[in-house]
Amino acid sequence: MQLKPMTGKRTGHFRESLAAFSATLLAATLATHGAEAQDSSSSNENNNFGPGTAYTQIDGALLVYKEAGGRVQAIEPALDTQIHSADGYVLNVELIADAVSGATPNGAVPSDLSQTFTTPVRVTANSATGAGGEGEGEGGGTGAGTGTGGTTTVTGASGGSTVVSSGGTASRQYTVAPNTLPVDKGFRDRRYAANVNWSQPLGDLTLVGFGAGFSREHDYRSITANVRAAQNFDSNNTTVSLSLNMELDSSFPFGGIPTPLTAMDGAWKTPKERSKTQTGFVIGLTQVMTRRWLTEIDYAFNMQHGYENDPYRIISVVAPSTGEPTSYLYENRPNNRQTQSLFWDNKIDLDPTVTDVSFRFFTDNWGIKSETVAVSERLNVGSSFYVEPDVRWYHQTAASFYRYYLVAGQPLPAYVSSDTRLGAFTSLTYGTKVGFYLSDRTELYLRVAYYQQTGNGHPAGTFGQLRNQDLFAGTKAFFAFVGYTWDFH
Amino acid sequence: MTHRISIIAIGCAIAISAGGCASFGPKPWEKDLMARKEMQIDPHPMLTAADNHIFFSKEASSGGRGFAGGGCGCN
Repeated sequence: MQLKPMTGKRTGHFRESLAAFSATLLAATLATHGAEAQDSSSSNENNNFGPGTAYTQIDGALLVYKEAGGRVQAIEPALDTQIHSADGYVLNVELIADAVSGATPNGAVPSDLSQTFTTPVRVTANSATGAGGEGEGEGGGTGAGTGTGGTTTVTGASGGSTVVSSGGTASRQYTVAPNTLPVDKGFRDRRYAANVNWSQPLGDLTLVGFGAGFSREHDYRSITANVRAAQNFDSNNTTVSLSLNMELDSSFPFGGIPTPLTAMDGAWKTPKERSKTQTGFVIGLTQVMTRRWLTEIDYAFNMQHGYENDPYRIISVVAPSTGEPTSYLYENRPNNRQTQSLFWDNKIDLDPTVTDVSFRFFTDNWGIKSETVAVSERLNVGSSFYVEPDVRWYHQTAASFYRYYLVAGQPLPAYVSSDTRLGAFTSLTYGTKVGFYLSDRTELYLRVAYYQQTGNGHPAGTFGQLRNQDLFAGTKAFFAFVGYTWDFH
Repeated sequence: MTHRISIIAIGCAIAISAGGCASFGPKPWEKDLMARKEMQIDPHPMLTAADNHIFFSKEASSGGRGFAGGGCGCN
């Protein structure tokens, strides 16, 4: 999902539609559960689900995500259907939609002066359109342009931005108040995704499978494919698995692909689209260690090649003594990336609690290293209710080309980005899940979580007005997830 | 020392994966706890996927149990 101006009316309508769809989905599954619960009172009910049994599992879920400070918010319903045959064939179909809107940091540093940023806009007969992806006239800030020649500022554009017409060309501008993190308030996006997977036993192999996925946003498209195999050993106490993954990502940002390290402006850029490919594999080992301890180790390798930039992201160039911004350049990242991760997960049954402890070590050729530790403790309360608090700690180092800002007059680096997500920071996530088994066939669960990044907002070596600014644009977010699982024959 | 630990760990992993530790783990009749849903390695994959999509969108790391993909997550 990327940045573009929004039409509040249309986004609101879409969000309402998604909310209505989600409510319908959950209501339908709950209503079905009601009927099913009555059925299950009959003595002939078969509540056996698992290997060797033909059954279907439907999961309906809704994610609500909201960042502090009026930044990104999202609502995402999802529906997953798994059809299991008695002899181990499984077909899985997953559908996801989401609506995202809000404000996102554009990459510039705050200043004690107001800052104005200029982006492309599409002008039709008497309106300006600031979003692409679904054809002319879709989305965007709108406002009537009345000037001929000279400069005309058009009010009424959405997201706190204005459309400026000058000499027959137009651009969108938004101004950020002094001592404020620069964010573009006017973006919205929609994403639709579908994933289909198939798996089955084959010959001596316990499982072989393949799958494909498609994800589409206004300005981004992703196609994925995977092939996988797994083999059980030692009375099914050991499972070894291998998964090969491929992905093709295409970015077609509103306004075209900017030339890296050139000044931000309102001109339309070419080319319109750039893409990158990803290929990778995951090798996994799952081992039942004891009656109460299950462990899993996964090693993942991923290789990316192609367009890695965030086409909307800029970096400030500041004056050497005052620290005041003098210009804004589009970022540039290396066009290849290799990542590796080692993941170790443990489940320990300490009846009536179940502890999950996982560790992940990650490294890439951009200079980023990260460690993740996650712990959850599930407490069963009776046979049909449980509570599961969790905490996740994450720390990453910065990419070698991460900079808070550039200094005017100094040589430009080949690669540079001020994206906080490529900087050094620590994040903490606190969450709690509660679940209810409404019957032997159904489960309703809810998880709420709070996510907070902390980083260095006052790095050494800053000067001028930058010394008084918080240069870390980290995220604080609240999210809630409600899901309903229903098994039936 | 670190190298030695790594070699031992890798050797053990290979031995386990090759079925070298034939008596490792519980007997089939001792798997009552493993059969419970809460002992599945990922009892709620949709919830895990949603979490991973959030982390993937806000952090520079991905991977782990599965393969992160299907969306830009650039906001």
